[in-house]
Amino acid sequence: MKCEWVQENLVFYVYDELADDARHELEQHVERCQECALELAAVKKFRSEVTEFPAAEPSPSLLAASRMKLQEALESAEQGSWWHRFLFDPIAWLEQVRFAPALGAAIFMLGFAGGIGATYKILAPRMPGSGPTVTLPGVQPSLASVSGISSISQQAGSDQITIQYDTVLPREAQGTVKDPEIQQLLLYAARNNFNAGVRMDSVDLLTQQPTNPHVREALLYSLRYDSNTGVRLKALDGLGPYIKADVEVRDAVLEALMSDSNPGIRIEALRLLEPVRADSAVRIVLERLAAKDENRYIRSQARTLVAQLPEMN
Amino acid sequence: MPADAWAVQFPVGKNSHPDAVRGQVERSGTREPLTRDHMLSQSRMDDTLLVRAAQRGDRNAFEELVRHYDQAVLRLALHLTGSDHEAQDIYQEAFLKAYKNIGRFRFECSFYTWIYRIVTNLCLDTMRKKQVRKEAAPVIMDSEGEQYDVLAQVADGRSGANPERDLMRRELGGRISRALERLTPRERMVFELKHYQGLKLRTVGEMLNTTEETAKNTLFRATQKLRGALADMR
Repeated sequence: MKCEWVQENLVFYVYDELADDARHELEQHVERCQECALELAAVKKFRSEVTEFPAAEPSPSLLAASRMKLQEALESAEQGSWWHRFLFDPIAWLEQVRFAPALGAAIFMLGFAGGIGATYKILAPRMPGSGPTVTLPGVQPSLASVSGISSISQQAGSDQITIQYDTVLPREAQGTVKDPEIQQLLLYAARNNFNAGVRMDSVDLLTQQPTNPHVREALLYSLRYDSNTGVRLKALDGLGPYIKADVEVRDAVLEALMSDSNPGIRIEALRLLEPVRADSAVRIVLERLAAKDENRYIRSQARTLVAQLPEMN
Repeated sequence: MPADAWAVQFPVGKNSHPDAVRGQVERSGTREPLTRDHMLSQSRMDDTLLVRAAQRGDRNAFEELVRHYDQAVLRLALHLTGSDHEAQDIYQEAFLKAYKNIGRFRFECSFYTWIYRIVTNLCLDTMRKKQVRKEAAPVIMDSEGEQYDVLAQVADGRSGANPERDLMRRELGGRISRALERLTPRERMVFELKHYQGLKLRTVGEMLNTTEETAKNTLFRATQKLRGALADMR
């Protein structure tokens, strides 16, 4: 009877699924019973044989392709409709409204606008050199009312940029990259848009305006927090020219070099840091990468850069 | 200076990105050693915040959640289907389903269990369809009348210098893959989650919408069948 119980539980013992008291009991029994000890050895052998058989692991390219395909699908996918969520979870909604007066106001305005059932889209003719045109004459686009930026495009052969963005009603702004309103919208899009393509376009255009103090800040933000590799890479390249003069930029690039999930970004960060490799913080990071980095290319590049450094006393 | 004693300060914003939080944890190195539990609970916290943001319609937050789990999901799907193409389809369908239904996620289980529940259901469907097709299709035999196994023909680059060992490994690999294929989809699933993914049977039961006891019985049946099949082939 005892042997029967032990043999039924050997597999759970080997897979660490027995309670402490049962485990103890089983171990005691196996020490005394040769038949059960042999059976235990057989189960252990089975487990190690199956473990030794390498099951197919997804290749990095399969993972990358799957991620890309999913990202495309997500662009067009819609989450469960809002009324559905409202129907299922009115309390959560009320809480959100309670804690977000702006959201509450937006919902109220949306309802109001929906009631009127009107959509405005006014494109005033733009005079060269004047500010960007906005949807409602006399009303500047308050960023607090921007709910999302849907597209950014630059007209071929001109410096005109068209930005379509949504407030309670969809609006559009036009102007050159030098226009403060356009810059404001680009900065907003770089941080807040759900669409990676739009974030990419805005970061790209922002890199053309190195004199704006907020641009660097926005690029640093994108490099650190953007989920899209392309956007992070674009921001990284835009930050390249500041790496010598601005310690904050240098630190952010170092941060990307150590912890970005994408090896391409890390390799680019390594390349950008070459001119400042003598900086003590850079040096420490390079030494660490040369010794321990999981990416072979980064390891060897870091080693080469470290070898070029003068000895520290 | 010891290699681990480095400490470079980086400014991190208030609303840190989860990646940045993980980066801090890794970078803190010897100065502030964090236990695995600490990091796990940190990751669970991240998940909760990300799920809430995704429920409010933040797609970046959802994509971040995807990155937390997608490698494990793809690995599971690939192990169970044995096909890149099918694994990719399951990956895509699972995350799209999660995205569309995340508004209904009520934190009754972890997001990890929830996403695995979706994936295991999709894998079981695919495996069942395959099994029906396989039963209808003739078995491929080689010239000596043995069942032909593609996996067994793949050379294992790791053992290189020892051809005899290499051959034995290939034979063992082929035997195991044939034995795994003879399990029912559910047995295969429980064995995969326990043996290859290292999950507790309680979690396995939760994922498969069943009890720990049932998962235990299924694992027992699966290992009995596998051991029997491997012994027959010796």
